[in-house]
Amino acid sequence: MSIFIDKNTKVLCQGITGTQASFHIQRSLDYGTKVVAGVTPGKGSSFHLNLPVFDTVKEAVKETGATASVMYVPAKAVKSAVREAIEAELDLVVSIADSVPLKDMLEIKSMLKGTKTKLIGPNTPGIITPEEARLGIFPENIHNKGKIGVVSRSSTLTYEAVLETKRAGMGQSTVIGLGDDVLIGIDFIDALKEFHEDKDTTTIVMVGQLGGAFEEAAAEWYKSLENKKPVIAFVAGNAIPFGHKMGYAGDIITDGYISVLDKKDALISAGITVVNHINDIHVELAKFK
Amino acid sequence: MNIHEYQAKKILNQYGIKIPKGKIAYTPNEAKSIAEQVSSRGPWVLKAQIQSGARRKGYFLEKKAGKEGGIRIVKSKRHIFAVTKQMLGSTLVTMQTGPWGKKVSRIYVEAFSKVEDCFYMAVAINRVKAELTLLVAKVKDSDILKVALNHAEKILKIKLDISGNTRPEQVREVMDFLRLPSRAAKHLENLINGLHSAFLEKDCSMIEINPVGVMKNGELIALDAKISFDDNALYRHLDIQNLKDDCEISSRELQASRYKFNYSEFDGSVGCIVNGDGLALAVMDLLRDKNIGTACFINVKGGVDKDKIASGIKIIMTNPRVEGILLNILGGFLRCNLIADGIVAAASEVGLNVPMVVRFEGTNKDLAKEILQNSRLPVIWADTMEESVDKLTKAMEEAA
Repeated sequence: MSIFIDKNTKVLCQGITGTQASFHIQRSLDYGTKVVAGVTPGKGSSFHLNLPVFDTVKEAVKETGATASVMYVPAKAVKSAVREAIEAELDLVVSIADSVPLKDMLEIKSMLKGTKTKLIGPNTPGIITPEEARLGIFPENIHNKGKIGVVSRSSTLTYEAVLETKRAGMGQSTVIGLGDDVLIGIDFIDALKEFHEDKDTTTIVMVGQLGGAFEEAAAEWYKSLENKKPVIAFVAGNAIPFGHKMGYAGDIITDGYISVLDKKDALISAGITVVNHINDIHVELAKFK
Repeated sequence: MNIHEYQAKKILNQYGIKIPKGKIAYTPNEAKSIAEQVSSRGPWVLKAQIQSGARRKGYFLEKKAGKEGGIRIVKSKRHIFAVTKQMLGSTLVTMQTGPWGKKVSRIYVEAFSKVEDCFYMAVAINRVKAELTLLVAKVKDSDILKVALNHAEKILKIKLDISGNTRPEQVREVMDFLRLPSRAAKHLENLINGLHSAFLEKDCSMIEINPVGVMKNGELIALDAKISFDDNALYRHLDIQNLKDDCEISSRELQASRYKFNYSEFDGSVGCIVNGDGLALAVMDLLRDKNIGTACFINVKGGVDKDKIASGIKIIMTNPRVEGILLNILGGFLRCNLIADGIVAAASEVGLNVPMVVRFEGTNKDLAKEILQNSRLPVIWADTMEESVDKLTKAMEEAA
């Protein structure tokens, strides 16, 4: 099992005709992902990578029964692309683009409320269920099937966490990059919930970082949970001096949290194992073997 | 992107927010004549324009600038020239600038505003809730950050709509919270609506007025102002782009931003090349545990152009403070071989004169290794992040 996607998930790609989209969709197809259609406005009724291309998401869904979308559209187009996906009632949307304006994300977050559509990203490597489906830009060669759920805010540290599961002689059920923008689609809580419901995920690795209070919120949620699966966490950014431009200046005043130590404390007090170095994850994981 | 106080005030004023009469001066003579224009009898406030908070509590590196901070109240017209001269060209250090400070190249000359009371007001984004938030606090001289950390309950937080206006009951809530006199009601409504519209229309990431002054007649006046704009939305605001002050940014950062790479400087000795901010953070944490500081890092995430990547790597290679280079690339979207090509191109131009540890993982890593091996550059290979830090530490010790 896995969360959000598996080998049967029918996937469409918004912005399929772009160079990067073509490169990564071909790789996802080779990986076994059930990509069934592409959407590029104005290029309907054509074929790309042997896939039918449609003008709208609705048409693509109607013709192919796709339930998830991976979009490689540029930042400026993300808002309208997500709107289209919501209107077509897709279950899952993955947006890779970086540099999506904050205001667009505020509007996207408000559009998503009350709908069944879940957004992963933007500015994310995406989601991968090893040996089944890959939506995004994950380097698939580092993944192997297993029972560890991985969720991370940082894209590159996601890969690092995956390598740690391998070092422990284990594999991953599903790997999700949440994206490290100021505003993101699904957060740790959404991912942790799904991993807890997934029978085949036994242990979860979460990678947080400086900025926002996403880790604190997740800790709060986990604390109240009755049947907990073990969670091992790493939080990056301890060496960043106070007031440095990394991170969002509004965090302190809106949330009152500023340091990585606050995050670690919150996670530990919720019963989560926190490692000081990301390369220590495999040591903790091995204890659950 | 940040702008100067005087620019922020001008924008807020366009949204109907009252600001003290003032003008920007580049020379002591200009300051003198502006002082006469903005107030006949004074006092005046001379404000060093650098993009940093806590300027009042800051200090100047140069003796000639005197012992006071970057915000000075001048009561007599004949002192305007001298005080401006002290600050212009001098280097102001605040808790936000780092020990090297920032050079003051312009002074904002304002009429002093007599106020009865002060409060803090800001609009920012609550990330977890994904909400636009109005923040209000009754702080006079104390530091708002301290209040946020120690007494978060003393900050009123109100969710603002992302389309449309502030609601009257929200304004009343702020009135009650601040216990403002009723004559201030319409001014408060005006202030909140102004901030709200400015934030959305100008694609801001944060606006802060610290403090807002309450005048005897109930008028509210922005005594200071800070606006940060969302870099990702600058493309739709040419007017805002023009306000950018390149002197506020280090030349290396500026150069990196031309290639759309994130570049940051610190006070250590290692230059890091990474492809992710989180990765940069984790590498810096590891270095710090070995008691080594980071000099700078460049995040080449999203790079698809070999020449741009080479230029980015050159920024690190040519930084004189860099005594060792740590390259950690976990290729996904970014292909490792492009980075390898970039390293070879950069090194052939500027030379590789310090130890460099390279670690590739992910997309096309074998090809990348082959490229570097063929180049015969003396790089040190590492398989994990921790190993890369260990090997660099060792190599730097040997080189020293």
